[in-house]
Amino acid sequence: MTDRDQQAADGTEDPTREGTTSADSATSDESATSADSAAGSAGAEPDAVSGVDSEVAGEPAVVAESIRRSFGDLAVLSDVSFEATAGTVNCFVGPNGSGKSTLLRIVAGLLAPSGGRVRIPAGEVEADDVARGRTVGYLPQTPSFRPQFTLAETLGFYEELAGVDIDPEDVLARVGLDAVADRRMGDLSGGMTRLFGIAQATVGDPPVLVLDEPASGLDPTMTEHVGTVISDLADAGHTVLLATHELGTVDRVGDTVLVLDDGIIQVADAPDTLRRETGSETLTHAINQYLVGDAGGLTVRAGRREGSDE
Amino acid sequence: MSDADGATESGQRWTDRRVGQHLAVAQREFDTVVRTRTYAALAAVFGLIVVALPALGGLAGYLPLVLDLSTPVEVLVPVLAFGFGTWTVLADAQGGELDVIRTYPVSRGTYVVGAFLGRAVGLLVAILVPLALLGVATPVVREPATSVLASHGTVDSPAYYARFVALTCGYALVTLALAMAVSSLARSRRTGAAAAVLAVLAVVLGFDLVVVLGVAEGLVGPGTLPFALAASPPGAFRGLVLATATGGLLETGPPAANAAASLVGLLAWLVAGLAIAAFRAW
Repeated sequence: MTDRDQQAADGTEDPTREGTTSADSATSDESATSADSAAGSAGAEPDAVSGVDSEVAGEPAVVAESIRRSFGDLAVLSDVSFEATAGTVNCFVGPNGSGKSTLLRIVAGLLAPSGGRVRIPAGEVEADDVARGRTVGYLPQTPSFRPQFTLAETLGFYEELAGVDIDPEDVLARVGLDAVADRRMGDLSGGMTRLFGIAQATVGDPPVLVLDEPASGLDPTMTEHVGTVISDLADAGHTVLLATHELGTVDRVGDTVLVLDDGIIQVADAPDTLRRETGSETLTHAINQYLVGDAGGLTVRAGRREGSDE
Repeated sequence: MSDADGATESGQRWTDRRVGQHLAVAQREFDTVVRTRTYAALAAVFGLIVVALPALGGLAGYLPLVLDLSTPVEVLVPVLAFGFGTWTVLADAQGGELDVIRTYPVSRGTYVVGAFLGRAVGLLVAILVPLALLGVATPVVREPATSVLASHGTVDSPAYYARFVALTCGYALVTLALAMAVSSLARSRRTGAAAAVLAVLAVVLGFDLVVVLGVAEGLVGPGTLPFALAASPPGAFRGLVLATATGGLLETGPPAANAAASLVGLLAWLVAGLAIAAFRAW
């Protein structure tokens, strides 16, 4: 059982883990800037395996301000603002097509927002592109790595890109894959590839980990294992932002649930608080109370057209 | 530690990391080439054709070998280079790994140059092995020298062949850079494959056809023809081969090649290909 599991069982969660969030829908005309999620400590050599600086725990690790994103005339994110506290697990939930992956890609610096900005205070140290450490670790929704290489070799490649010294077996041990370090990527199951993707995301000890559906398609045992891994990463000081439909995992490891629907964050609070405030017995029922015009649950939704009332 | 020492150390660390990143990307690409059967098959087919063509006609010496190989190499090298280079950026982009790479402090330029270097080593090995084999075999199985050589008073020399091999390597690097540009421009495997085929056709035939049309329309005259030919990768390669690797054997009329212009042409295509690849990688 992890510290987090124990706290959940005891009802004694560390209050400093509570992610402060804002779901304010105030519009902002702030000029569109790309996610300035760059720059880590100039010249600092991040330790690959020891966890991030514990002194930043409790501080905002990610600040998103009035994020908007459209694809053509399709507005996916209308006005998304939130803060994620260092060392917490922040779970974005919402229907398919609600913009969770888009938002995570913006936070990871892979997609420029149409408006608003993302700040990662730990990365706001002036530095050139190469001297900086890694600010955001990222697990794509469908992770894929070159099948010709072993897990250890692939981690070695990312070690060089991050400019750090790591022991691949230690990093793989974080996710329970150290026994298969010499296996080729092409021989891994989908679940193991996803676990490896999480291990890869930690290379260079980025303060922020962005995990897009880390437990998607996994069996219950593997899902529970992924939850434990995520919990351990947060305990080590990483700020985890994840998108998922696995509400069991959210309930177990999430400090904050952010319900994303209709282009905005409808609510952001701790799982227990959501249940209490909605008088719901299950997190699924509680979240459904916040979905706009769709009390039926987490269903597939099309994107919303800008200016449309739909 | 003084500020100057600190700056020096920081600069050294920056350089070390840059070099490390280039080497890491290059090693990954080279290993990918080595561990993928498709590339081995491509290299084998290329090698077989390149060895078989002159061997079937009889190895008469280095100059005849250069003449025998010039046209096949002009066509086959772009095919091989696009085979080696088209999936470089595209494979990472399609598989989603490019998104992961982008979260590391690595620049587009580093990624593209590293990938180019890694693929280039694999490509050059595939080209050099059969050419070296021919080079070694020629003096061993040499048949009587042709009368053409005697009538022009040209002395056969391995130096001509060495120059030809060097120029072939240069031509291969240029076409690999173009393949990487296609790789970064394509947005799917299907469009990548189609674009690669079109690009090979453009490189092998298209440019020369434009020059022919230019000559037919009177837009390209004897004075500008060497420069027009130098503007295309195969034309520039051909021009350099004619100017440096045939011992003046084919200089029977007005000059059809300008070595300096051809060299500039090849370098321009190399830089342009890599620049496009770096600009469009992400």
